[in-house]
Amino acid sequence: MKDVVYFAPSKLDEAAHLLGVHRGKAIIVAGGTDIVGKMNCYEIKPEVIIHLGALELDYIREEKGELIIGAMTPTTKMSLHPLVAKKAAALSQAAAQSGSLAVRNSATIGGNLINASPAADLATPLLVMNARVVLAKSSGKRIVPLNRFFVGPGETILEKEELLVEIQIPVFSGKTAFLKLGRRRAMTLSVVNTAVRLDLENGVCKDAAIALGSVAPTPIRCYQAEASLKGKPVNPANIQSCAKIAAGETKPIDDQRATAWYRREVCSALIERAIKDVAGILTH
Amino acid sequence: MKYPLSFTLNGGNVDALVKPTDTLLDVLKEKLNVQSPKRGCDTGDCGSCTVLLNGNPIRSCLTLALTVEGKNIQTVESFASKEGKLHPLQQAFHNHGAAQCGFCTPGILISAKALLEQNPHPNRKEIVEAISGHLCRCGTYLEVIEAIQEVVGQSGKEKGK
Repeated sequence: MKDVVYFAPSKLDEAAHLLGVHRGKAIIVAGGTDIVGKMNCYEIKPEVIIHLGALELDYIREEKGELIIGAMTPTTKMSLHPLVAKKAAALSQAAAQSGSLAVRNSATIGGNLINASPAADLATPLLVMNARVVLAKSSGKRIVPLNRFFVGPGETILEKEELLVEIQIPVFSGKTAFLKLGRRRAMTLSVVNTAVRLDLENGVCKDAAIALGSVAPTPIRCYQAEASLKGKPVNPANIQSCAKIAAGETKPIDDQRATAWYRREVCSALIERAIKDVAGILTH
Repeated sequence: MKYPLSFTLNGGNVDALVKPTDTLLDVLKEKLNVQSPKRGCDTGDCGSCTVLLNGNPIRSCLTLALTVEGKNIQTVESFASKEGKLHPLQQAFHNHGAAQCGFCTPGILISAKALLEQNPHPNRKEIVEAISGHLCRCGTYLEVIEAIQEVVGQSGKEKGK
């Protein structure tokens, strides 16, 4: 077996340079919770490992009212941070429910997005917040809306010599919520997850955003369902019809976690609950 | 290619020569002869390899050894006193028969210790959440919860809710 080479660059330029030099051969390790498991099972045989731990990309701050999160920020930190809870409640809730405590202590927001799992728990809250990702390489940076970042399962628009360095989250009026159904309560992948953002005025929907995970090749926004609710009173009948439309926008598959039929049924139920949750309508 | 690694293990400095693909679990068990963390699934699901990194539980099987350079790692080997007196958690696990085969026990002890350091008086729900990332195929969950409750000064007898 070939010797594996290891780098832990402390500057972004250096990291970008290394990625360029080892283009296509380098495996980037952030928290490692996904990729090291794959190495242990020989699904990935790296030649070059680049660890991002020394890049100082572990931060949560506010800039011009927006929430700015470094790509290496661990999930636990997001789940406990008051700024995240205040500005993006759904992200805080999703962070608290992903993996298990020991996994959340290592797993990073950047890793969760780069993996591009259709079931990524942090993707749906970020999609309803119209989050942007900052991608960097030697020649410069570009900022891309998250809804254009995912291409398919495990695939993103990230180029081989590019790094995800930061997530920028605009702030909206209104509230957000995240709900997830897994096979069990802890350390579980989502069978379906949803994030909802709703801005209400006197019970009427001024603005709505709905995202679903694990029901299409990528996490998705449900634009038709959102449009169906805008300008209307948020009452049980309108919520139900919106949730049905959202389920119709999905392309779920049968897999070991659930059937496509079940996923569609769960989509409607979860969205209904999430909207009622955000709108403060009692369900029980 | 091998790289030098040094970090703090249970209060003392250790050095090892490791491959980039070696996990912290590999290095602890195979190079440093620390045997309390267990290799269950090697994918982060079972919790048996859990250790403390700077006081927080992590999966040593999912942590590349080189990434803990200069950091502080603690395993169950650090729990008992030098004279052999068990840590209150270990004693309570013993009292309640909270280990059957014992394979998952070190990992659960680690998570329990981290919980009590961050929250000295957790309620039952908080205890359950703290150990939710651990699989015990013998099914000692109730005894584990009772043992942790004993340490935090609750009766540790109530079952069910």
